[in-house]
Amino acid sequence: MAEFFGTTVADIFNTMPTRFKPEEARDVDIIIGYECRGDGGGKWKVHIKNGTIQVEEVAGELTGCKMSVHAADAETFIGVTLGKIAAIEVLTSGKLRVVGDPRVLMMLLPKVFVQYTVPAKKSAVAAKDIIATIAERFRPDKAAGVAMKVGYDLTGAGGGQWTIVIQDGKCAVEEGLAKDLTVKMTMPADVYTGMMLGTISGETAFTSGQVKIDGDMMAAGATSRFFSKYVDPSAQAGEAEELITIKVTNAIDCRFATGPVMGMWFKGLKEKKFLANVCPKCGRTQVPPREICAFCRVRCNEWVELGPRGTITAADVVYFASPDPLTGAVRETPYAMTWVLLDNASAQEAFCLDIKKEDLGRMKVGDRVRPVWAEKRTGSFRDVLYFELDQETRGEKR
Amino acid sequence: MTTMTCKKEDTANCFVMEGKMALPNQYFAGRLGSKFIIALRDGKKIMGINCPKCRKTFVPPREYCHVCQTKIDENWVELGSEGELVNYAIVRYQGRHLPRKVPYILGQIKLRGADTPLTHIVEGVDFKDVHVGMKLKAVFAEKTTHTLLDLDHFEPA
Repeated sequence: MAEFFGTTVADIFNTMPTRFKPEEARDVDIIIGYECRGDGGGKWKVHIKNGTIQVEEVAGELTGCKMSVHAADAETFIGVTLGKIAAIEVLTSGKLRVVGDPRVLMMLLPKVFVQYTVPAKKSAVAAKDIIATIAERFRPDKAAGVAMKVGYDLTGAGGGQWTIVIQDGKCAVEEGLAKDLTVKMTMPADVYTGMMLGTISGETAFTSGQVKIDGDMMAAGATSRFFSKYVDPSAQAGEAEELITIKVTNAIDCRFATGPVMGMWFKGLKEKKFLANVCPKCGRTQVPPREICAFCRVRCNEWVELGPRGTITAADVVYFASPDPLTGAVRETPYAMTWVLLDNASAQEAFCLDIKKEDLGRMKVGDRVRPVWAEKRTGSFRDVLYFELDQETRGEKR
Repeated sequence: MTTMTCKKEDTANCFVMEGKMALPNQYFAGRLGSKFIIALRDGKKIMGINCPKCRKTFVPPREYCHVCQTKIDENWVELGSEGELVNYAIVRYQGRHLPRKVPYILGQIKLRGADTPLTHIVEGVDFKDVHVGMKLKAVFAEKTTHTLLDLDHFEPA
């Protein structure tokens, strides 16, 4: 029997007696014939009389019906029944034909029947079923050179403890948790199955605290790459429609003219100097420099060298991987845009740059930093690679 | 402290920086568009969609008939790979986004069985010989790009 929208035509008729509301049909006396052509179709006769209902499947011709409904195919009939297809649409296109007054049906049927809904398919997949398929879903080509032990501590009903050992392009599953785990993931068993079946987003489960990760966070994120996706064997093996998506990275060539003021700044970077200009009125050092003081609106012609050391005043640690606008490539996370107040700069005039990756975990507001310059400097903002923690002047107040 | 004057003609430290801005894009061909391209790619067939009410066949496919607003997304019909040139232009402006090096002919070809013309590249005919009404046939690409260019071009039949 052909299924559409997760159900069959026969299901709709078989459930009719249970969906029937006798009290609403006391004064009704009607025989409705249904004909559904094509695969999964058939003919049915529904007799509603004084609060009773009789549904029978008809093999031959539909006879003795006051009204009849003819659907071109099972999909149309089911779609209209479920409200997935607008009745008016298929009536206009001729895929659904009603002999008699269609308005009677539109008034009567919703009154005497409870709306048909597709019975929910219960997923009977247990966490251990998924774990059992791990070894066969392993993709050695993706895990070349990887050695790790991933522990799963699944709590609640259907839970358990497993260790997945990946080594030398092989993968094995062991019961229980190994002592030397690379990473341990603790979560309710139903969250795990949901994530594997794709009904729960891993990110959401993690950020909402349903999943706890102890150990190497990067390893936890990488594991999914080593396995092909788990497919529920009881799920409908319907052929997925192929959809075409094309990924294109468009590049736009840009030219930026620095002008004399930013030019001076970039010239300074080339010479390993942070050059700020000073407002003649308020004395504020502008970094990066601007032609006009943003507060006093006067021209700033005085220049002063700042730093090169400075103090961290704030940092934005970024975990969201966004594409670099200059290359289109996604940059590595986490990274931190760190606000550094260079020595001799006016208060509040911090400017923002990367911090060395190794210092990301240990930096804090108030720490002293020094710039690390690029070997080859071209007069661009990339001439300063990043700031790094400066141990020599640590603790010094300036 | 160095003093600097910001005069227009003071260009000692002015320079131009070259940059490149990359915009990653994802273009979805759509449900019908996908089916259309897949038919070109796998079946070497040009498919159109027919409105049974207006008796019109549209190519490229569309979900709704623009005349009667009926949803027609299921009424696929196979069109012939031959057709007639109903309009053309010779492209002479070189844009980087163009599929061919200029100059080339961009034609509107009314395929057998279709009521709307398909715009595509016409090759194998001299610019002075190309004319409205000439018979053309489709040449399919050997290598797929998953785009409309899986139908490579049209040439005189």
